Amino acid sequence: MTLLLDSVRAWCWLLHKDLLREWRAPRGWSGMLLLAVVLAALIEMQLELPRELKRGLVAGLFWLAAFFAGTLALERSFAAERECGCWSALLLYPVAPGTIFLAKLTANFLALCLVDAVLVAAFTIFSDVPLLTRPAAFAGILLLANLGFASVGTLLGALTSGIQQRGSLLVLLLLPLVSPVILSAAQATRLLLADSPGDWQRWAQLLAVFAVVFVSLGTLVFEFLTED
Amino acid sequence: MVLARSTRLAATLFVAALLLVAHVMIFFVAPREVTMGDVQRIVYLHVSVAWCGLAGCLTMGLTGAAFLLRRTLRWDHWSQAAAEIGWLCTTLTLATGSLWAHEAWNTWWTWEPRLTSSLVLWMLFAGCLLVRSSIDDPQRRARISAVLAVLTLADVPLVVMATRWFRGVHPVTPEMDPRMRMVLLVSVLSYTALFAALIIVRRRQLEYAAEVTAEEHHRGIVTAAS
Repeated sequence: MTLLLDSVRAWCWLLHKDLLREWRAPRGWSGMLLLAVVLAALIEMQLELPRELKRGLVAGLFWLAAFFAGTLALERSFAAERECGCWSALLLYPVAPGTIFLAKLTANFLALCLVDAVLVAAFTIFSDVPLLTRPAAFAGILLLANLGFASVGTLLGALTSGIQQRGSLLVLLLLPLVSPVILSAAQATRLLLADSPGDWQRWAQLLAVFAVVFVSLGTLVFEFLTED
Repeated sequence: MVLARSTRLAATLFVAALLLVAHVMIFFVAPREVTMGDVQRIVYLHVSVAWCGLAGCLTMGLTGAAFLLRRTLRWDHWSQAAAEIGWLCTTLTLATGSLWAHEAWNTWWTWEPRLTSSLVLWMLFAGCLLVRSSIDDPQRRARISAVLAVLTLADVPLVVMATRWFRGVHPVTPEMDPRMRMVLLVSVLSYTALFAALIIVRRRQLEYAAEVTAEEHHRGIVTAAS
């Protein structure tokens, strides 16, 4: 019980540290949010289509924009730790690697939620397709997709952080690994945007399975990535 | 050593004979398909290499997990060999599938679920090989690659499941003439034997390369000390 409480306390402190760091260096997250807006604008500029036709396309494009803007957050997550030897100092603390993973995962999850909030507003304004026709279901899809995306992204961010070409490697590895998330989230969103939503819960189930598998796996294997 | 060499020779001859039999059966035993004609014979190669690609992914993931548990580079050599041969098989799967699609669907590529999942698998193999080539230290390379291999192993069933839920045009279990089914079985078996043989050969090459590097490293240290 004490061990669990210690882990929760360490998780809170690590999360607090990451959020404080982001707050003090707004250049990182503001760049990420700006990229989200630019991507949404660029995509919509190319789509001179009637609203009904756009409705079928917007879901996939939304998740593609979320992927690219979110990758920036995931890359920063560990790159910042590597600077000035912060990573080595962090590993000296008596904190389980799984706790560090969960704290980083939470920080990345919050960053992705922020990106999605901006993208929802940008896509709704630029495309004139109301993404929030079924807000509760859409929020559920966003949360599950972000959890899956953040879990794989956090692991890959740690994995590539010590490698020289980490930026390109992260995108190259992340895209195929999170393709089930992008496919399922896009399909669920497309169904939610339709006049009569189909079986979107099935896609939500797949997103939940993905999130559970990779959060559990990440907690187990993160230890092997902290041995440097 | 002599026994090992004779065993190797026997195994090579066995795999070569199996492949010869399979190809003779593909061209002379399997009946000509009515709609597609001789182009349909690509299927025997396509299905075989597709299976080998998946087997490569499975081997890469399991041997990667074994490395994380045991920490001996022997397992990493198995994992790298499986990644390289798996990548080759998946490339052949995509190439033969594309040739078949051009005749059957009149297009080289379509975003069909099964094609998409094969492309994702190819990207995963390529990513694993790219990570390997980016790290110099053998132990670190093995550790990072093993974690990535385990992630890939967990991801593949999800990719297959996600794409299976889409409606696709790829034939899953088509009706086949019994002779066609038999030829397909022999082809899959022979290519599986080739796949296993290639992995064993490549693993041995990697082990020799590691021994030579270690020897050179040792000599360098001794020379520097003297």
